[in-house]
This record gives sequence, C-alpha cells and structure tokens, in this order.
Amino acid sequence: MYSVIVVPPSCERPGSQIRIAAGERLAFGRAAPESGLTVAHPGVPRNAGEITAHQSFWLLSNHSADQTYVVENPEGAGEHVKVSPGRLDAPIPFEFSRVVLPAAGDLLRFDVWAPRHRYRPRGAVPSPGAATAPAFALDRTTRYYAVLAALCEPRLRAEPHAPLPTVGQVTERLRPNWPTVSRSAVHWNIDYLAVKLGLRPGPEAADAGPRLNGKKETLVSLALRFDLVGEDDLIVLGPLPSGAAR
Amino acid sequence: MTAGHPHAVPVPAGYRVGSWEVREPLASGAFGTVYAARRTGGGEPDQPRQAALKFLPTGTHTPRRLRHLRELADREVDLLRRLRSPRLIRMYDVLTVDDPALPELDGATVLVLEQAEGSLEELLRRTPVPGSGPALLAQVCEGLHQLHHAGWVHGDLKPGNVLLMKDGSVRLADFNMAAELEGTHAYSPAFSTPDYTPPELLWPELGERGRQIRPTADIWAFGVLAHLVLTDSYPLPGGSTDARCDAAVRYARGTEELRLSPRLPEAWREIVTDCLARSHDLRAAHDSASLLRRAEQAAGEARSARLPRLRPRRPRRSAWVATLAGTLAATAAAVAVTYATLRDDGPTYGYHRCPAGSVCFFSEEFGNGEMCDWADDDPDWLSGDETCAWTRDRPVRSIFNNGVEAPGRGGVAYYRGTDFTAAGIDRTRMEQRTGCTSMRQQGNLAGTYAPRSHEWVPNC
Repeated sequence: MYSVIVVPPSCERPGSQIRIAAGERLAFGRAAPESGLTVAHPGVPRNAGEITAHQSFWLLSNHSADQTYVVENPEGAGEHVKVSPGRLDAPIPFEFSRVVLPAAGDLLRFDVWAPRHRYRPRGAVPSPGAATAPAFALDRTTRYYAVLAALCEPRLRAEPHAPLPTVGQVTERLRPNWPTVSRSAVHWNIDYLAVKLGLRPGPEAADAGPRLNGKKETLVSLALRFDLVGEDDLIVLGPLPSGAAR
Repeated sequence: MTAGHPHAVPVPAGYRVGSWEVREPLASGAFGTVYAARRTGGGEPDQPRQAALKFLPTGTHTPRRLRHLRELADREVDLLRRLRSPRLIRMYDVLTVDDPALPELDGATVLVLEQAEGSLEELLRRTPVPGSGPALLAQVCEGLHQLHHAGWVHGDLKPGNVLLMKDGSVRLADFNMAAELEGTHAYSPAFSTPDYTPPELLWPELGERGRQIRPTADIWAFGVLAHLVLTDSYPLPGGSTDARCDAAVRYARGTEELRLSPRLPEAWREIVTDCLARSHDLRAAHDSASLLRRAEQAAGEARSARLPRLRPRRPRRSAWVATLAGTLAATAAAVAVTYATLRDDGPTYGYHRCPAGSVCFFSEEFGNGEMCDWADDDPDWLSGDETCAWTRDRPVRSIFNNGVEAPGRGGVAYYRGTDFTAAGIDRTRMEQRTGCTSMRQQGNLAGTYAPRSHEWVPNC
C-alpha cells in the first residue's frame, strides 16, 4: 500500500529500496534518523530534507540553508523542478525522479519513483470517480511502456504462443527510437513494470536462473489479457525493421 | 449518452436481434451499452414484452483487441445462467449478433435482462439521502447475501450497479467482475471502482489470473454504499477519489481513525463501522447473513415489504419526486399527507413512511393516505399527547407494525374502546379486541372502523 519508492544511490537490490506509504515522511541527510535515508557526504547537511508521499505523487522539503535541489525527470528531455532552500512540501509531478543534491562541488543523486500515477482508460471521458477502472494505469509515453510493447509484439503480430523475445532482441527493437538503450536499461524497466503492476513474486523468485523469464512471461500474459498493449499501441516501437522475420 | 465510454456499442434504434427490437439506449457502462427493447412476435413464452439488452463488444472485427471483454462477458453470462435469486437481475437469454454487414456489431454478446426503472445512482443524483434508503440498503444486503451464499463475489458493488425495479424493489446487476469462490478466494479481473474498493485491494498484487478477491471486498463496498445513501457523503474524507483512497490507506495502516458522518443514523453506525473494518480479517467476522439480519432490523423492514417506485410515468415526474421527498423528510410525528393521488397504475405502497420502531395506521389501503404512527401505547387516540384526528370520522384501512423486536413486544393489539378495552363489536369476540398485528406485518384492514386505543403485547 506504499505509494512512493525511494531508491538509494547505487542501490542494487530491491530489498534496499525504501517504500513509503501515503502520508508517511522520509528524512534524508548526512545524519538522517535510522528510519531515514543517509547520504554520506560531508557536503550534505545533517538534516538535508524530507520526502512525503502524498496521494499518487510526493512532496519534497529542502531543509538546507543555501542549496537549491533539482529534481530531474530522467525520461523528460531536460524536464526538471527546482526546489529552493527552505521550501517546504514542493509537489513533484514526475513518475520517475532523480533528486540532485549539490555537495561541495559534487552532485549526489538518488531516485524516487511514484508508480501509482493514474491514467484514464483509453477512450474514456473524465468521470466523477464512480467509474470501473483497471487497477493499473500505464503511461504510454514512457520507456517502460515501449519495453512492454516490444515484449508483447511477437504475440500481437504473430501467433498467440510465439516465444518471447530475449532481452537482446528487445534492446535491438527499441534502438531506432531510443538510441541509448542498453540491456541493463531493458532489465531495469522490466523490474520496474513488475513493481508497478504489483506482480506477486512467483514461486521461482527464490532461484536466480529462470527468474527474469518468469517475470517477462507474467508481464506479457497480464498485458495481453487486460489489453494493456494492443496492436494499435505497437506504434510506440516505430516500424518493423526491414528484413525482420515476420 | 454512449459517447466517451471506451467500449460503448452504438446500436441503431429499430435494430433486430433475435426476436427483439432495439429501442432507446438506457445506460453505458465501463464494458458495454444497455438498450431498451421490445419483443416482436415469436420468442419464448416466458419472456417479457419489454427487456433491457446489454451489448458487450465481443465482436471479432479486431481479433487482437478487447480480448478481456470476452472474459468479462463470460463471467456475467456464467453467473446469471447459474444463479437466479430474487435480488439479482434476471437474465432471459443470451444472443450473439450475426451481422457481417455491421462489423462493429457482428459478434457482440447480447444479454437479455429484466428491465429496470433506473439505478440507485440516478436516484441519488435526484434525491440525495432518499427516505427509502434504509429499505433499499436492506435489499442490497439481501442480494449480496444471495450472491455470497451461492459462492460468488460481486467485485464491483456501487450505486450504478444497483438497479431499482418498477415496483421499487432492488436488483444487483453488472456481474462482469463477479467471481466464483475457490475455497476462500476468487480471482477477479483487475478492474475496480476505487471509491468502493477495500484498501488492501487498491493496489492489489496480481498473478496471471488477475487479483484475488474475497467476499469481504463486497462487505467493504456495502459499507461505503450505505454511508453514501444515508448521508450523501463518502465515509473517508477527501474531495477527490485519490484523496479518499489515500485516506483509506492511512486508515487501514492504523494511522488514522474512521470518522463517520454525524448524519449517519444511529441504527446504521455500527453496521457501517463493521463493514468498513480495517482489514480483511476484521471484516470477515461479519458475513452477509449477519449483516442482512442487522440491516433489516435497522431498516425496520419486513422481508416482504415493498418499496416505493423509483419514478412515476412522465410527465408527472417532478411533482411526484418532490412530493415523495417531502413526505419522507417528515417522519417525526403523525404525518398527514395525501400520498396516493399521483398514482397512475397498480397499487403504490406507502408503508415505507412508517418510522422504524413504530406502529402505523393509514387512512387508505397499502399504506397510503394519512398516517398516524406511535412508538408506544396510546390509551386514547382522540385526546392526550398524541392524537390521530382523522380517525374521528374516517376508518383505518391499512396497518404496518414496523416495531423492533423486544421482550414483551411481539405485536400490537387495538381496541374500539379507550384504555385498551373492548367496545361495540369487540365484545362479541373471544379476544375482546378489534385486532392484533404482529411485528413486521403489514396489510389492509376491513376498513369499517377506527380503533380508539392500542397497546404492545408479547404476541398476538
């Protein structure tokens, strides 16, 4: 029931992500309380700021005396929000954010995800809230959506039981529209989708081998079953490369 | 009317499906469109002349799109084929459109359903806090009980999915999310209406089969619905769905208390609180059978009591609704309103005006006309604190004992004489009284006399 996930710098494992629920606060700084996020750098104030989860978005308070924090949208082509010193509870509108703290010449970063952003179902008009809506809402302009579309593409275009593409094939398929894509970026987005869609960790989660494949399989079957990706949505991938085996 | 819904199905008026001729659209929901229809000739003899046709766009013109609609349609058909209960909308037939000339319609699934007058959502839009609310809620609860008892979970209970029939009775409808229990759980498609979704399912964990739901999800939704019907507000604070969901999560985590509206009648406060218990485990203590008992008691509703009609025939709508609202607002003492005059066909029932815990006598049949109500005994109807002046020169034609069961209170005995004594023809009777009506009974009387006194008795 969390609504915001804070990903500490160089966080490798989901276990070290910090999940905060609506209304909860998370302090960060050089000497953050035990429940907070410690940013160990001498240039960072002891109590540098606070993150508050609020509905589907979050608020940032800047407790430093003289440093402006910048919150970037890594997928937003330079889109960012500046939070000046002393500003309390500035709302941050991005689904993915990178908080940049200037510290004695260095720039320190950590990520904050807001996977509960909501979207109206395709084709629906705004309604006062009593509408039956899918439990998940995907932003069709994001990279995770492109990754999901690429995973679903063979089954949408060919037969329903086509094998799933490998991460390498997905990377190649995405490259025309996303030149900097890498295998690790694809992995990252698959993991994020699993978080966003609330996939129950399958029984295979414990053993490392087929884990990713199981996750991919579940994502694709959910996406197809609930029409999260349709044939029309494959447009986000751009045209099929010439000579593709179809 | 149908615009703006992703799965609206436009069907031209006059279109024929099976033996049905489509008329005007009635409503458009998240997954399909409902049209009024009339039977032309043929058809099964047990089918009505009018029905509602629900079109679900399961067509094949776009083979890879909307595949979840097939599943949602199958769920509804499956449930309605197997369950027939008085409080669930009745399905007469399932048809598939076979019309290659209209690719938009070809392959659509058509459910032939009992036609309703409207939905609870429409009633609430016109009349927030309807006086018939408690009685309606008791019937909604009855429907939930019938569903749960048969091993199903509704999964999307809300005012738009509660239909009101011509006779004012309630039917649950829209079973696209319904799921049959497999042990303690059912798997439901991952769709929901956030304002009616229990906090543990707001961001559900999903498996390949969808989300797991349990009957307590319907219990939560009933709590929200009851609060809305009785107070015109949601139980959780916030001006937007997001804010209310947020509050639901804080409440579920124990960081916030539930503050129900002070407008919530005392009899319902405990019921709503139990329905909105923080977690599945706490809610599971209150199954639909026990809730039904309590809701019926809170509504003071005899199981068989009938409800007011949702709306009159045109063009008298506004006048009738205004009269009804006015009538229902004034339940305090002896109310004298002429109720039956706007009636245009069949008996309209006025019993619902009788406050819970009271016995009510009416000047017309079926609970219509002027009403006198008492919570306690009255040794003389024509003098004292409470009088019932119209009985001086007019007879009582119907009665409703809407009392609450308690030791020593099983029925109401009435007498032609004051101070609970026999007078006139009473003396010739063995019981030495005019009559006696048991708890929750209602009906028409001979209509030739008016009592002068009544008292609560252990039983009739």
